[in-house]
Amino acid sequence: MEDEEVEKTRASSMEVQDPIAQKKHAAMLERLSNLHQSRLQQSTSRRSATDSSSPAFESVHSFLARFSDAKRSLEAELRRFHALAASSGDAKSQIRPDLEKASAAISDLERQVAENSYFLPPYEVRSSLKTIAELKESVESAYADILPRKKFSFRSKASSNKVPTVVVQGAEEIIVSDDANSKLIARGSPGLRDLQNAVLVKHFSGEVEGDFTLADLHSCEVYLKGRFGALFIHRLRNCRIFAGPVIGSVLIEEVNDCLFMLASHQIRIHQAKDSDFYLRVRTRPIIEDCSRVRFGPYRLCYDGIDEQLKECGLHEETGNWASVDDFRWLRAVQSPNWCVISEHEFVGVTDISGLEEKNEIHGLST
Amino acid sequence: MGLLSIIRKIKRKEKEMRILMVGLDNSGKTTIVLKINGEDTSVISPTLGFNIKTIKYQKYSLNIWDVGGQKTIRSYWRNYFEQTDGLVWVVDSSDVRRLEDCRMELANLLKEERLSGASLLIFANKQDIQGVLKPAEIAKALNLDAMDKTRHWKIFGCSAYNGEGLLEGFDWLIQDIASRIYVID
Repeated sequence: MEDEEVEKTRASSMEVQDPIAQKKHAAMLERLSNLHQSRLQQSTSRRSATDSSSPAFESVHSFLARFSDAKRSLEAELRRFHALAASSGDAKSQIRPDLEKASAAISDLERQVAENSYFLPPYEVRSSLKTIAELKESVESAYADILPRKKFSFRSKASSNKVPTVVVQGAEEIIVSDDANSKLIARGSPGLRDLQNAVLVKHFSGEVEGDFTLADLHSCEVYLKGRFGALFIHRLRNCRIFAGPVIGSVLIEEVNDCLFMLASHQIRIHQAKDSDFYLRVRTRPIIEDCSRVRFGPYRLCYDGIDEQLKECGLHEETGNWASVDDFRWLRAVQSPNWCVISEHEFVGVTDISGLEEKNEIHGLST
Repeated sequence: MGLLSIIRKIKRKEKEMRILMVGLDNSGKTTIVLKINGEDTSVISPTLGFNIKTIKYQKYSLNIWDVGGQKTIRSYWRNYFEQTDGLVWVVDSSDVRRLEDCRMELANLLKEERLSGASLLIFANKQDIQGVLKPAEIAKALNLDAMDKTRHWKIFGCSAYNGEGLLEGFDWLIQDIASRIYVID
């Protein structure tokens, strides 16, 4: 009971209290109905217009017939333009309004397709749209052929202006960098390069060495006693490399049929094939573009290596040699590119204490 | 202009900067980030993917995106270009052989339109190793002088191993970004 009364009073108060709101409401309703009326009118007028132009309304067949008629006449027009343009220069200026008419006809055709699309099968809509696109294109090309006009474009300006300078720049760039690089390489970092069939023993007893490079070695045995800041290994074939601890990182690229015994903070191996790596690494070694590479633990021995390993933070076996990340195999299952060397195949502890420093090349009896 | 001023306003409020660390693999990107954040740098694996660090630096908060540099994942760098305020290109000064690769990768990166406004800090890293190339030599090898004149760039020698030069580099970068993005107060 009470509720009803409340409702009533609220309703009445609404009516009484808000004459302004009411007025607004009425105005809005009127606007809406006006809008509706005009919309209706528009649609009927449009319908009558289309009806007059298309007697068989909503018939796919007749639409297609009309469409292909229009298409044919447009094509004929376009052909005429081209012929005219080819024949005489004077006619060109007269063609212009005709061309504009043609393009207007094409957009009219496009509108018709759009209006009739609701009853046309999808295939017909697609094909007629495609036809329209082709017509448009040929009108464009007719414009270009018949009335060539200097178009404003950034590209033409840039290309006419910049091409030669770019070429020059490029050439300069290459020369500059070649020059710089050759100088840099000539200055070179310490290392062993371009050697074949050699046993090379290097003994670094004092301070930590800087970076050291092994490059372009073929069938060599290399023993490096000492500590290094960084080690770069590039293009080795059929080599055996034994090295003391590296404080920084080791980067190995393009090696085939090799054996490495290395200890380092980080080891990256790129493009290695058929090679064995005996490693002690503080972090996980990574491989990229490698195949048939195998991994085992570091087992090198010479006088003072224990202290050297300790100074480089590599005295503990971390077991990381067995957890390799393959950047070419980012999946949970084991990569097919690498495996762990089975224990009975491990090379024995390699003791190089007795090796004297030698750098001369002599044939290996293998 | 309207959108730009809105972005500026938001950034000014938060004082945030987005820094992208890139460079070839083995150049020391992750080590640099951890070093300036005062973390342990003795056990850093080659980056498989990326790391994000938010670091308070002066009155700014830096979002540092440290992206792996291995060849396989370099093509993913572009996923991190959006809204980068500062670019840090790290060079291994001891890796003479790959300097040409380094130059090409940097040149490709700088063609990127989304990075066109970013300040560029180049670190010639690993200066602690004796006999490595000096920053001036790196600048020459990378042909930095031929860079687009509108680019703000500077090269610093540094060692992520002992920390030398890192703060100088970041100071310059932050100042440069700040003077561009924020009204200097």
